[in-house]
Amino acid sequence: MRPERGADPVTTAGPVLYARSRALPQTITALAVTTLLAIWAAHALDSYLDPDRQVPVVALAPLFASAVIGTSLHTASDELDRTAVRPWWRRRLLHLLTLTALATALLPLAVLTSTQTFGPPAMIRNVLGCTGLTAAAAVVLGARLSWLPVFGYVSAMYLGIAGLRGGALPAWAWLLEPRTGGTAWTTAATLFLLGGTAYVIRGARPTP
Amino acid sequence: MTTIQVAGLHVRHRKTVALDSLDLDFGPGVHGLLGPNGAGKTSLIRVLATVAAPTGGRVEMLGEDIGDPRGRAAVRRRLGYLPQEFGYYPGFTVREFVAYMAWLKEMPAADTPAAVERAVARVGLADRIDAKIKTLSGGMVRRVGIAQAIVNEPKVLFLDEPTAGLDPEQRVEFREMLRELGATATVLVSTHLVEDVAAACTEVTLIAAGRLAYRGTPDSLTALGTTADGIGDNPIERGYTAALRAHRESAAVREVAAR
Repeated sequence: MRPERGADPVTTAGPVLYARSRALPQTITALAVTTLLAIWAAHALDSYLDPDRQVPVVALAPLFASAVIGTSLHTASDELDRTAVRPWWRRRLLHLLTLTALATALLPLAVLTSTQTFGPPAMIRNVLGCTGLTAAAAVVLGARLSWLPVFGYVSAMYLGIAGLRGGALPAWAWLLEPRTGGTAWTTAATLFLLGGTAYVIRGARPTP
Repeated sequence: MTTIQVAGLHVRHRKTVALDSLDLDFGPGVHGLLGPNGAGKTSLIRVLATVAAPTGGRVEMLGEDIGDPRGRAAVRRRLGYLPQEFGYYPGFTVREFVAYMAWLKEMPAADTPAAVERAVARVGLADRIDAKIKTLSGGMVRRVGIAQAIVNEPKVLFLDEPTAGLDPEQRVEFREMLRELGATATVLVSTHLVEDVAAACTEVTLIAAGRLAYRGTPDSLTALGTTADGIGDNPIERGYTAALRAHRESAAVREVAAR
């Protein structure tokens, strides 16, 4: 029988196999597509005319990006992975930080024209907050359902937007805070730190 | 020579006691681990394979305490494990999956390709080494699981229901492979199939309700089946049921005496 692939040393290299086992190529592609959609949406909404039109972009793009990152935390062979010689926390940390860094580098490209409100800092803040929530959800619910709580949160915030906007927002409404600095950043950074730490220590909950 | 020493092992899953102060030791050879459903076989295998931490007790393996992170890492390099259900990555070929597991066990990169091919050939899948795992039959997937367990030529090997899904010819070949592995390694095989134990194992350990119910050889278990009052279609099955009954009766007597 003719082999489908040869014993190419690249295909049996551990880090490459790890990346493929976590569907990282697909994840990176999905992050790039999310960025392109966000750029298109920001342009289509004529957001340069009114910064408030950026809200759907700075709320939904981080939601999609964090969902993609959260799903990539799934492992199909959890039981065998546990017999790995090296502790997993280093790989988990590198995995989460690399994808979060990529998302925080790509998504702000969609809101570069807005510098005062809902600009790149707000996008980065929202990516961090949403990813932190997703990482925590991966620990509790498993990676495949990790998008669910952040989806619920963003939906609730987005649907309740009229009642929330204007004046100082409470800490839990960090997603919609138009300005940079203050409690919104503190909340988002805390969520990333706590969610990320929980994931790095415990890993995603095993699910079929 | 003892390679695995278990002392006072206790495993609890919420309110259920899976292993109750178990003391065991194993040396090189093939050890059959028998017991009814829920006896604690998988709990024992998972603790020994270092994937689950016990609630209490101590396990020393290959001279290392697996409760100590350094000792555990050292053991994992020389350990093979086939769980009842192992997940695999749909896009992976047999070669890639076994190589990935070799990488997790930190095998030298230069040795890995040859070791992968050896392990896959050993389970009779050399002609399918570059096939995607998702295209294989259930029995073949099981053999992929065995290949990943032996890729690092382990000194201790834990196999949980390894023959599930294998056809009779494959089971015969698998028993032959077990005998080969047992010549140099300590192999612990959890199974419901007593005929596999009779054919391939050098020792038998029977556990029930988290406790040791019987230890001996396949011959001694078979002999028990010819003398004691057990049920089954062949002597070793009768020996198995007789040993289990005897354990339950003595446990009941102990319980009454304790009240």
